Amino acid sequence: MATESASSARKVVVHFRATGGAPILKQAKFKISGTDKFAKVIDFLCRHLGRETLFVYVNSAFSPNPDELVIDLYNNFGFDGKLVVNYACSMAWG
Amino acid sequence: MDVSSWDGSLSSSDFSLAARTFAEKWKRLNHTFPPWSWVACTKQPWVASHEVEGYLSLENICLFSLTEEDHDEGSREGEEETGCSKEEEPIDTATLVQSIGREVHFYDFHIVFSASYRVPVLYFRAYCSGGQPLALDEIEKDLPACSSKVLLASKWTFITLEEHPYLNRPWYKLHPCGTSEWVKLLFLGDSALAKYGVARRQYLVSWFSVVGQVVGLRIPFQMLNDSN
Repeated sequence: MATESASSARKVVVHFRATGGAPILKQAKFKISGTDKFAKVIDFLCRHLGRETLFVYVNSAFSPNPDELVIDLYNNFGFDGKLVVNYACSMAWG
Repeated sequence: MDVSSWDGSLSSSDFSLAARTFAEKWKRLNHTFPPWSWVACTKQPWVASHEVEGYLSLENICLFSLTEEDHDEGSREGEEETGCSKEEEPIDTATLVQSIGREVHFYDFHIVFSASYRVPVLYFRAYCSGGQPLALDEIEKDLPACSSKVLLASKWTFITLEEHPYLNRPWYKLHPCGTSEWVKLLFLGDSALAKYGVARRQYLVSWFSVVGQVVGLRIPFQMLNDSN
Protein backbone atom coordinates (compact mmCIF):
# COMPACT_ATOMS: atom_id res chain seq x y z
CA MET A 1 0.00 0.00 0.00
CA ALA A 2 1.29 3.43 -0.90
CA THR A 3 1.54 5.87 1.96
CA GLU A 4 -0.22 9.21 1.87
CA SER A 5 2.95 11.12 1.08
CA ALA A 6 4.01 8.71 -1.64
CA SER A 7 0.69 8.96 -3.40
CA SER A 8 0.60 12.75 -3.30
CA ALA A 9 4.12 12.96 -4.75
CA ARG A 10 2.95 10.90 -7.69
CA LYS A 11 2.62 12.38 -11.15
CA VAL A 12 -0.83 12.50 -12.62
CA VAL A 13 -1.57 12.09 -16.32
CA VAL A 14 -3.84 14.90 -17.40
CA HIS A 15 -5.66 14.45 -20.68
CA PHE A 16 -6.77 17.76 -22.18
CA ARG A 17 -9.86 17.72 -24.33
CA ALA A 18 -11.01 20.72 -26.38
CA THR A 19 -14.74 21.38 -26.44
CA GLY A 20 -16.99 24.06 -27.83
CA GLY A 21 -14.71 24.76 -30.80
CA ALA A 22 -11.59 25.47 -28.73
CA PRO A 23 -8.23 24.92 -30.48
CA ILE A 24 -6.76 21.44 -30.04
CA LEU A 25 -3.34 20.99 -28.43
CA LYS A 26 -0.69 19.14 -30.46
CA GLN A 27 0.04 17.06 -27.42
CA ALA A 28 -3.03 16.18 -25.40
CA LYS A 29 -1.53 14.27 -22.47
CA PHE A 30 0.80 15.75 -19.88
CA LYS A 31 2.26 14.53 -16.62
CA ILE A 32 1.63 16.97 -13.82
CA SER A 33 2.75 16.68 -10.22
CA GLY A 34 -0.07 15.58 -7.92
CA THR A 35 0.90 18.17 -5.35
CA ASP A 36 0.25 21.02 -7.81
CA LYS A 37 -2.90 23.02 -7.49
CA PHE A 38 -5.48 22.97 -10.27
CA ALA A 39 -4.64 26.67 -10.83
CA LYS A 40 -1.36 25.47 -12.37
CA VAL A 41 -3.25 23.30 -14.85
CA ILE A 42 -5.38 26.30 -15.86
CA ASP A 43 -2.30 28.53 -16.23
CA PHE A 44 -0.55 25.87 -18.26
CA LEU A 45 -3.50 25.61 -20.65
CA CYS A 46 -3.91 29.37 -20.98
CA ARG A 47 -0.20 29.74 -21.75
CA HIS A 48 -0.21 26.98 -24.35
CA LEU A 49 -3.27 28.36 -26.08
CA GLY A 50 -2.23 31.99 -25.71
CA ARG A 51 -5.47 32.99 -24.00
CA GLU A 52 -6.19 35.12 -20.98
CA THR A 53 -9.12 33.02 -19.81
CA LEU A 54 -10.55 29.59 -20.48
CA PHE A 55 -13.52 27.71 -19.16
CA VAL A 56 -11.95 24.58 -17.64
CA TYR A 57 -13.94 21.67 -16.23
CA VAL A 58 -13.72 17.97 -15.50
CA ASN A 59 -15.90 15.07 -16.35
CA SER A 60 -18.33 14.92 -13.51
CA ALA A 61 -19.83 18.13 -14.83
CA PHE A 62 -18.11 20.66 -12.62
CA SER A 63 -15.40 23.26 -12.69
CA PRO A 64 -12.79 22.56 -9.98
CA ASN A 65 -11.74 25.29 -7.62
CA PRO A 66 -8.23 26.51 -8.60
CA ASP A 67 -7.06 25.66 -5.07
CA GLU A 68 -7.87 21.95 -5.36
CA LEU A 69 -4.88 19.63 -5.60
CA VAL A 70 -4.42 17.69 -8.83
CA ILE A 71 -3.99 14.42 -6.90
CA ASP A 72 -7.30 14.91 -5.07
CA LEU A 73 -9.08 15.52 -8.36
CA TYR A 74 -7.45 12.44 -9.85
CA ASN A 75 -8.36 10.26 -6.87
CA ASN A 76 -11.98 11.36 -7.00
CA PHE A 77 -12.65 11.88 -10.68
CA GLY A 78 -9.84 10.18 -12.60
CA PHE A 79 -10.32 6.97 -14.51
CA ASP A 80 -8.24 4.74 -16.81
CA GLY A 81 -5.15 6.16 -15.11
CA LYS A 82 -5.79 9.75 -16.12
CA LEU A 83 -7.70 12.89 -15.28
CA VAL A 84 -9.67 14.24 -18.24
CA VAL A 85 -9.73 18.03 -18.27
CA ASN A 86 -12.03 19.75 -20.75
CA TYR A 87 -11.53 23.30 -21.88
CA ALA A 88 -13.55 25.76 -23.91
CA CYS A 89 -12.94 29.33 -24.98
CA SER A 90 -16.30 30.60 -23.83
CA MET A 91 -16.21 33.04 -20.95
CA ALA A 92 -18.27 32.33 -17.87
CA TRP A 93 -18.82 36.02 -17.26
CA GLY A 94 -19.06 38.93 -19.66
CA MET B 1 -34.80 14.31 -23.79
CA ASP B 2 -31.17 13.97 -24.82
CA VAL B 3 -28.74 16.48 -23.41
CA SER B 4 -27.26 17.27 -26.85
CA SER B 5 -30.40 19.13 -27.87
CA TRP B 6 -30.64 20.94 -24.55
CA ASP B 7 -29.74 24.63 -24.40
CA GLY B 8 -28.59 24.58 -20.76
CA SER B 9 -31.63 26.41 -19.40
CA LEU B 10 -34.20 25.31 -16.82
CA SER B 11 -37.91 25.76 -16.31
CA SER B 12 -39.14 27.29 -13.10
CA SER B 13 -40.39 23.94 -11.77
CA ASP B 14 -37.08 22.27 -12.68
CA PHE B 15 -35.36 24.98 -10.71
CA SER B 16 -37.41 24.15 -7.61
CA LEU B 17 -36.51 20.47 -8.03
CA ALA B 18 -32.80 21.19 -8.57
CA ALA B 19 -32.81 23.60 -5.63
CA ARG B 20 -34.17 20.98 -3.28
CA THR B 21 -31.64 18.39 -4.45
CA PHE B 22 -28.83 20.90 -4.03
CA ALA B 23 -29.95 21.98 -0.54
CA GLU B 24 -30.38 18.37 0.57
CA LYS B 25 -26.89 17.35 -0.65
CA TRP B 26 -25.34 20.46 0.87
CA LYS B 27 -26.90 19.70 4.23
CA ARG B 28 -25.79 16.07 4.11
CA LEU B 29 -22.30 16.50 2.72
CA ASN B 30 -21.08 20.03 3.41
CA HIS B 31 -20.60 20.59 7.11
CA THR B 32 -18.41 23.67 6.70
CA PHE B 33 -21.44 25.88 6.19
CA PRO B 34 -24.98 26.05 7.54
CA PRO B 35 -27.68 24.62 5.28
CA TRP B 36 -29.43 26.54 2.51
CA SER B 37 -33.07 27.18 3.17
CA TRP B 38 -35.88 27.44 0.63
CA VAL B 39 -37.83 30.66 0.93
CA ALA B 40 -41.27 30.34 -0.65
CA CYS B 41 -42.59 33.53 -2.17
CA THR B 42 -45.95 34.82 -3.20
CA LYS B 43 -46.39 34.75 -6.91
CA GLN B 44 -45.58 37.92 -8.77
CA PRO B 45 -48.90 39.22 -10.11
CA TRP B 46 -47.72 39.50 -13.72
CA VAL B 47 -46.44 35.93 -13.96
CA ALA B 48 -49.12 33.60 -15.23
CA SER B 49 -48.03 30.38 -13.57
CA HIS B 50 -49.47 27.96 -11.08
CA GLU B 51 -46.12 26.99 -9.66
CA VAL B 52 -44.92 27.94 -6.22
CA GLU B 53 -42.02 30.32 -6.49
CA GLY B 54 -39.12 30.72 -4.18
CA TYR B 55 -35.39 31.00 -3.81
CA LEU B 56 -32.55 29.41 -1.86
CA SER B 57 -31.02 31.40 0.93
CA LEU B 58 -27.74 31.11 2.88
CA GLU B 59 -27.33 34.03 5.25
CA ASN B 60 -24.93 35.46 7.84
CA ILE B 61 -21.95 33.72 6.35
CA CYS B 62 -18.89 35.08 8.05
CA LEU B 63 -15.97 35.78 5.75
CA PHE B 64 -12.69 37.13 7.01
CA SER B 65 -10.61 39.17 4.67
CA LEU B 66 -8.31 36.42 3.55
CA THR B 67 -5.36 38.34 2.25
CA GLU B 68 -2.43 36.46 3.71
CA GLU B 69 -0.18 37.39 0.80
CA ASP B 70 -1.05 41.07 0.98
CA HIS B 71 -0.63 41.46 4.69
CA ASP B 72 2.72 40.77 6.22
CA GLU B 73 3.22 39.89 9.85
CA GLY B 74 3.67 43.54 10.78
CA SER B 75 0.08 44.40 9.91
CA ARG B 76 -1.29 41.76 12.25
CA GLU B 77 -0.99 43.98 15.26
CA GLY B 78 -4.10 45.80 14.06
CA GLU B 79 -6.04 42.57 14.29
CA GLU B 80 -8.60 42.26 17.07
CA GLU B 81 -10.96 39.47 17.99
CA THR B 82 -13.99 41.08 16.41
CA GLY B 83 -13.38 44.79 16.30
CA CYS B 84 -16.76 45.38 17.98
CA SER B 85 -15.37 46.49 21.31
CA LYS B 86 -13.33 49.16 19.60
CA GLU B 87 -16.32 51.06 18.39
CA GLU B 88 -16.82 53.14 21.49
CA GLU B 89 -13.19 53.99 21.93
CA PRO B 90 -11.67 56.98 20.24
CA ILE B 91 -9.77 55.64 17.26
CA ASP B 92 -7.16 57.44 15.25
CA THR B 93 -7.61 57.07 11.50
CA ALA B 94 -4.42 55.09 10.97
CA THR B 95 -5.71 52.28 13.20
CA LEU B 96 -9.12 52.43 11.56
CA VAL B 97 -7.73 51.92 8.08
CA GLN B 98 -5.84 48.87 9.24
CA SER B 99 -8.81 47.30 11.01
CA ILE B 100 -11.04 47.61 7.93
CA GLY B 101 -8.87 45.10 6.08
CA ARG B 102 -9.16 42.51 8.86
CA GLU B 103 -12.73 43.05 9.95
CA VAL B 104 -15.29 40.29 9.89
CA HIS B 105 -17.69 40.62 6.99
CA PHE B 106 -21.01 38.87 6.72
CA TYR B 107 -22.48 37.69 3.46
CA ASP B 108 -26.02 36.77 2.48
CA PHE B 109 -26.41 34.63 -0.63
CA HIS B 110 -29.62 33.97 -2.53
CA ILE B 111 -30.05 31.69 -5.53
CA VAL B 112 -32.95 33.08 -7.52
CA PHE B 113 -34.46 31.75 -10.74
CA SER B 114 -34.34 34.22 -13.62
CA ALA B 115 -37.49 33.88 -15.69
CA SER B 116 -35.96 35.75 -18.63
CA TYR B 117 -32.68 33.81 -18.85
CA ARG B 118 -34.23 30.61 -17.46
CA VAL B 119 -31.17 29.94 -15.29
CA PRO B 120 -30.33 30.30 -11.58
CA VAL B 121 -28.78 33.63 -10.60
CA LEU B 122 -26.67 34.35 -7.54
CA TYR B 123 -27.62 37.48 -5.60
CA PHE B 124 -25.59 38.56 -2.61
CA ARG B 125 -25.00 41.38 -0.19
CA ALA B 126 -22.31 42.01 2.39
CA TYR B 127 -22.20 43.93 5.63
CA CYS B 128 -19.95 44.57 8.62
CA SER B 129 -20.65 43.25 12.10
CA GLY B 130 -22.34 46.57 12.87
CA GLY B 131 -24.73 46.13 9.94
CA GLN B 132 -23.28 48.74 7.59
CA PRO B 133 -23.55 47.48 4.00
CA LEU B 134 -20.34 47.01 2.06
CA ALA B 135 -19.79 48.62 -1.32
CA LEU B 136 -18.40 46.64 -4.23
CA ASP B 137 -14.85 47.98 -3.80
CA GLU B 138 -14.87 46.63 -0.23
CA ILE B 139 -16.40 43.31 -1.31
CA GLU B 140 -13.76 43.01 -3.99
CA LYS B 141 -11.08 42.70 -1.30
CA ASP B 142 -12.85 39.60 0.06
CA LEU B 143 -13.18 37.94 -3.35
CA PRO B 144 -10.62 35.43 -4.65
CA ALA B 145 -7.90 36.88 -6.87
CA CYS B 146 -9.40 35.46 -10.06
CA SER B 147 -12.66 37.31 -9.39
CA SER B 148 -10.93 40.65 -8.97
CA LYS B 149 -9.29 40.03 -12.34
CA VAL B 150 -12.64 39.37 -14.05
CA LEU B 151 -14.16 42.33 -12.26
CA LEU B 152 -11.53 44.55 -13.82
CA ALA B 153 -11.96 43.08 -17.31
CA SER B 154 -15.77 42.84 -17.39
CA LYS B 155 -16.98 45.62 -15.16
CA TRP B 156 -20.59 45.67 -16.36
CA THR B 157 -21.16 42.04 -17.22
CA PHE B 158 -19.92 40.32 -14.06
CA ILE B 159 -21.16 41.75 -10.76
CA THR B 160 -23.62 44.62 -10.73
CA LEU B 161 -25.93 46.18 -8.17
CA GLU B 162 -29.54 45.40 -9.04
CA GLU B 163 -32.92 45.12 -7.49
CA HIS B 164 -33.54 41.81 -5.75
CA PRO B 165 -36.56 40.35 -7.58
CA TYR B 166 -38.39 39.35 -4.38
CA LEU B 167 -37.06 41.75 -1.77
CA ASN B 168 -37.01 44.84 -4.02
CA ARG B 169 -33.82 46.07 -2.44
CA PRO B 170 -30.44 46.58 -4.06
CA TRP B 171 -28.38 43.39 -4.04
CA TYR B 172 -25.28 42.43 -6.00
CA LYS B 173 -25.95 40.02 -8.82
CA LEU B 174 -23.76 37.74 -10.91
CA HIS B 175 -24.65 38.24 -14.52
CA PRO B 176 -26.53 35.28 -15.99
CA CYS B 177 -26.12 35.97 -19.73
CA GLY B 178 -23.41 33.32 -20.24
CA THR B 179 -24.77 30.76 -17.79
CA SER B 180 -26.78 28.45 -20.06
CA GLU B 181 -23.82 28.33 -22.44
CA TRP B 182 -21.31 27.01 -19.89
CA VAL B 183 -23.84 24.80 -18.12
CA LYS B 184 -24.47 23.07 -21.44
CA LEU B 185 -20.72 22.56 -21.89
CA LEU B 186 -20.45 21.04 -18.40
CA PHE B 187 -23.03 18.38 -19.16
CA LEU B 188 -22.19 17.64 -22.79
CA GLY B 189 -18.97 15.74 -22.17
CA ASP B 190 -20.27 13.29 -19.63
CA SER B 191 -22.18 10.31 -20.93
CA ALA B 192 -23.33 9.36 -17.41
CA LEU B 193 -25.01 12.73 -17.14
CA ALA B 194 -26.21 12.83 -20.73
CA LYS B 195 -29.78 12.35 -19.72
CA TYR B 196 -31.77 15.47 -19.19
CA GLY B 197 -33.34 14.07 -16.02
CA VAL B 198 -29.94 13.64 -14.38
CA ALA B 199 -28.69 17.00 -15.61
CA ARG B 200 -31.78 18.61 -14.16
CA ARG B 201 -31.23 17.17 -10.68
CA GLN B 202 -27.48 17.78 -10.70
CA TYR B 203 -27.90 21.23 -12.28
CA LEU B 204 -27.41 23.45 -9.23
CA VAL B 205 -24.48 21.43 -7.92
CA SER B 206 -22.63 21.84 -11.23
CA TRP B 207 -23.72 25.45 -11.53
CA PHE B 208 -22.48 26.23 -8.03
CA SER B 209 -19.06 24.70 -8.75
CA VAL B 210 -18.53 27.66 -11.10
CA VAL B 211 -20.50 30.35 -9.28
CA GLY B 212 -19.14 29.47 -5.83
CA GLN B 213 -15.60 30.11 -7.08
CA VAL B 214 -16.48 33.74 -7.72
CA VAL B 215 -17.36 34.36 -4.08
CA GLY B 216 -14.92 31.84 -2.58
CA LEU B 217 -17.42 29.14 -1.59
CA ARG B 218 -16.06 25.67 -2.32
CA ILE B 219 -18.21 22.67 -3.04
CA PRO B 220 -17.04 19.38 -1.48
CA PHE B 221 -16.11 16.51 -3.80
CA GLN B 222 -18.70 14.26 -2.18
CA MET B 223 -21.46 16.52 -3.48
CA LEU B 224 -20.12 16.15 -7.01
CA ASN B 225 -19.38 12.46 -6.69
CA ASP B 226 -22.64 11.57 -5.11
CA SER B 227 -24.95 10.03 -7.67
CA ASN B 228 -27.90 9.55 -5.33
